[in-house]
Amino acid sequence: MNEDDAFERLKSLPPRGHHAFLGIYTVDKGPDWAELACPFASGFLMDADAGLVSSGPIISLVDAATGAAVIARTRQWRAMATLDLHINYLRPATAGRALHARARCHHVTRKVAFTCCDVHDGDPESPIATATASFFFTDES
Amino acid sequence: MIVRTPYAQMLGIRSITTDNGGTMLMMPAAPELEGRSDFLYGGAIASLLELACLEAVAQDRGEPWPKPINMAFDFLRGGLMIDSYAQARLVRVGRRVVNADAVCWQTDREKPIAMGRMHLLLD
Repeated sequence: MNEDDAFERLKSLPPRGHHAFLGIYTVDKGPDWAELACPFASGFLMDADAGLVSSGPIISLVDAATGAAVIARTRQWRAMATLDLHINYLRPATAGRALHARARCHHVTRKVAFTCCDVHDGDPESPIATATASFFFTDES
Repeated sequence: MIVRTPYAQMLGIRSITTDNGGTMLMMPAAPELEGRSDFLYGGAIASLLELACLEAVAQDRGEPWPKPINMAFDFLRGGLMIDSYAQARLVRVGRRVVNADAVCWQTDREKPIAMGRMHLLLD
């Protein structure tokens, strides 16, 4: 493992903050994409009786996966902030199943990175949500 | 209402009645809501905005949750590790679709840290 590589460094960091709280972990990655997941928790429910999963954990996972995709593509450890995020909910997530988000960073300019993301709960052929997000590099470069 | 849901409880979100009888949500700062060092995680802010929209619809209609169709978030400022507030407004309530927007702020309501627009499907 190359410790100098920004993405490997990201993966090897001990979980903290909201990532640790939701149990977010890295599943796989490529030159411009990253797949992150988090196991189901009973706290994810919107309605305990109906077993309806809240969309909040899905948004948080998308935020994490799209940010990781930017690092996967740029291979740089740059300070950045989420500018905007748009999510379409295709169908309800199934209670009890881990959430997976596979994000791709498809374009990077000097100051902005553009990403898209598909979310599923076990079957990539049956997505639960799609999203786009853009990030702004807050450092001077 | 919304604060009784497991996910709102997981984030520690509380409901506050405003002077004009409306409802706003408060999310207390906590280490488990942190993203990059010293800043709130964007996904947690987004979740607060979405719950505010759902709360506004629930208050208006008093029936089970409508289905989220989509939501767009704009992040305007980094969220500090202090308490956050969100309040939503129903822009249009149709027969089948509700359009809502919400704003999230910390110390000054005139300086929001994030905004969201949401479509919800009524059954």
